Amino acid sequence: MSTHEGELATPFRDRAGRALQDGFLQQALTIATTRFIDLRREAFGEFPEGDALRDRARAIKEATLQRLDHYLERLVDNVERLGGHVHFATTPADARRIILDIAKRTGTRMAVKSKSMATEEIHLNEALEAAGVTPVETDLGEYIIQLAHERPSHIIAPAIHKTKGQVADLFAKELNRPNVPADPEALTAIARVELREKFLQADMGITGANFAVADTGTVVLVTNEGNGRMVTTLPRVHVAVMGVEKVVPSMTDLAVFLAILAKSATGQKLSVYTTLVRGPRKAGELEGPDEFHLVLLDDGRIDQIGGTLREALYCLRCGACLNVCPVYRSIGGHAYGHTYPGPIGILLTAMLNGSGSVRDLAHASSLCGACADACPVRIDIPRMLIELRKEVDEKKIAPAGERLVFALFAWLLRHPRLFRLAAPLARLGQRPFARGGRIQRLPLFFGEWTRTRDLPAVAPRTFSERWAELEREVRR
Amino acid sequence: MSTRAEFLTRIRAQLARTPALFPAAPSLRPARPQEIADTIRRELSERWPAALERFQRELERVGGVLHRVASVHDVPAVVGRLARERGVHGVITWAPSALGFDPAAGLAAQNLTTHAMPVDVPDAERGRALRETIATTSLGLTGVDAVLAETGTMILRSGPGRPRSTSLLPATHVAVFDRTALVESLAQVGVLLEAWHASDAPEASGAAINFITGPSRTADIELTLTRGVHGPKEVHAIFVERPIRE
Repeated sequence: MSTHEGELATPFRDRAGRALQDGFLQQALTIATTRFIDLRREAFGEFPEGDALRDRARAIKEATLQRLDHYLERLVDNVERLGGHVHFATTPADARRIILDIAKRTGTRMAVKSKSMATEEIHLNEALEAAGVTPVETDLGEYIIQLAHERPSHIIAPAIHKTKGQVADLFAKELNRPNVPADPEALTAIARVELREKFLQADMGITGANFAVADTGTVVLVTNEGNGRMVTTLPRVHVAVMGVEKVVPSMTDLAVFLAILAKSATGQKLSVYTTLVRGPRKAGELEGPDEFHLVLLDDGRIDQIGGTLREALYCLRCGACLNVCPVYRSIGGHAYGHTYPGPIGILLTAMLNGSGSVRDLAHASSLCGACADACPVRIDIPRMLIELRKEVDEKKIAPAGERLVFALFAWLLRHPRLFRLAAPLARLGQRPFARGGRIQRLPLFFGEWTRTRDLPAVAPRTFSERWAELEREVRR
Repeated sequence: MSTRAEFLTRIRAQLARTPALFPAAPSLRPARPQEIADTIRRELSERWPAALERFQRELERVGGVLHRVASVHDVPAVVGRLARERGVHGVITWAPSALGFDPAAGLAAQNLTTHAMPVDVPDAERGRALRETIATTSLGLTGVDAVLAETGTMILRSGPGRPRSTSLLPATHVAVFDRTALVESLAQVGVLLEAWHASDAPEASGAAINFITGPSRTADIELTLTRGVHGPKEVHAIFVERPIRE
């Protein structure tokens, strides 16, 4: 259920094609991703120890996975010792049921949410609404998306595909406010007033978790707006939803991740707020929830600890790989059609929904390696994309035509004589289609290939033909 | 619905398939973090002016303002001026025991109504009234547990007399600190966090620790930087030359 049925009814290439035709989206993507790249480069430029810390962070992630059972047990014990409750959800449906039960038992009518990819992944909002609980997204970008009934298009900037004019129209219509100016400052002020009221009224606060510290039972939230603080301070119940891989061993380890996370995501040295929460309100404290719940989410993660996508479990959800990816920069987040977009999103989609779900997406990468370079924990995304392509091929779920052509080509490559014979034949065959060394349009189902890219024409003289010629000349 | 045992069994089965991608270990935790924290503080007792300068530079970069005064007796005058400039008449403050000094008389002399946060939890009715006060007061005065120079960050622990909302709900947050709070790097903050969690001091007992790096901000609409979306629109740090708890 973690696919977006409406969007997925159209094939990936049509979704991508639509995005490529969208002039505003194209401009917004270029501006946003370029800005993020510059800010990230600047932040690490001023931080010479950054590279070594990235290696350290990668090692911590791997070390944690190697003893994930131990660290999870430690985390659970500590959260419970602090008076919190821990729940285990194998599927998104489990997670939804757990949260709905808590909402029902605590008489929750309104839940304020701080931005969380995990709750996007389990499609929590629809479930809450169906159960009569009003979910309110409080991150400004998410709030805009929720009012517009859309999905986020970037992990850290969910509404980059919207203009300020569109946001102003949306606020005017959905919030019944006359004369909303198309000015980010004024729009933000409106959101502050609207959402402040919700923070004070809500019964439940729902968050994700950027990290959870096993040693201390601490859930860590990183935000810029302060909504993460609001939803963990004001409502009487706090529910945090997190993937099992988000645990880190100690506070010392946490400091390593904090040093690189914001720099990778937004180019800030630190995000404005880093909030460390340990269980419910303590004795003598005026504020904080009466109840604290931690929902540990599996949803395909555990099976990948020993699987091909293990390294994707290191991901911090910073979005750096999206910004540098030539495919993401061209089509944006919605075209991917799943909760997690971009290069890492393809891997996470396969993790959550199986490799069959990325039949097309596994190819939505040029394998240029920019993602692996940008990743703060150096996840080798291209390597796993190739693994996925292989899996997609082995499971024979690629289109029949594509498989046939590649099978013939592979057979040809294994037979050098036939291959050499094929060159002049191909030159003859391509004559009606080749222009200036390129083939821009092919007939029949071969046209699938040239719909979105050119095919280089077979050269007037192939390398092996030239080699043979050279050899003859040398002998003479 | 799954159980803890099921999760652990499945994780162990997977770990048996792939124990490791490469040899790796988590960070070495300090065995006696408090001793290292004390050493850091001792070293900084000489180097603090440079750390303060760095903090000021980084705080200003994120849109915060640093004020310097000689002693805690000068704090109310700074708060009074900020309040007058913003047309504010009331201020919520941490409890005097949490601040390390009592600003009430000084703030009264500045014509400000002071609401000091209680160290005991009030009954339900008084609690509701207090929440209303916190939600409608535009200036909050807090102490700081650690000041991180490298990033312009102030770190505040919650606890009795130090509620989280004092630095969150008011439009203007003013925080008072002295040289003993300064640290230089995130690695040092890691040591402090280890030390705090090993300690049983009352200020280490709260459920929340907040790192605050400048005013609340967003760039969610066309990447235009806007301050004060949910948290404070302004953050002021007052550095007190003479240590507060002297």
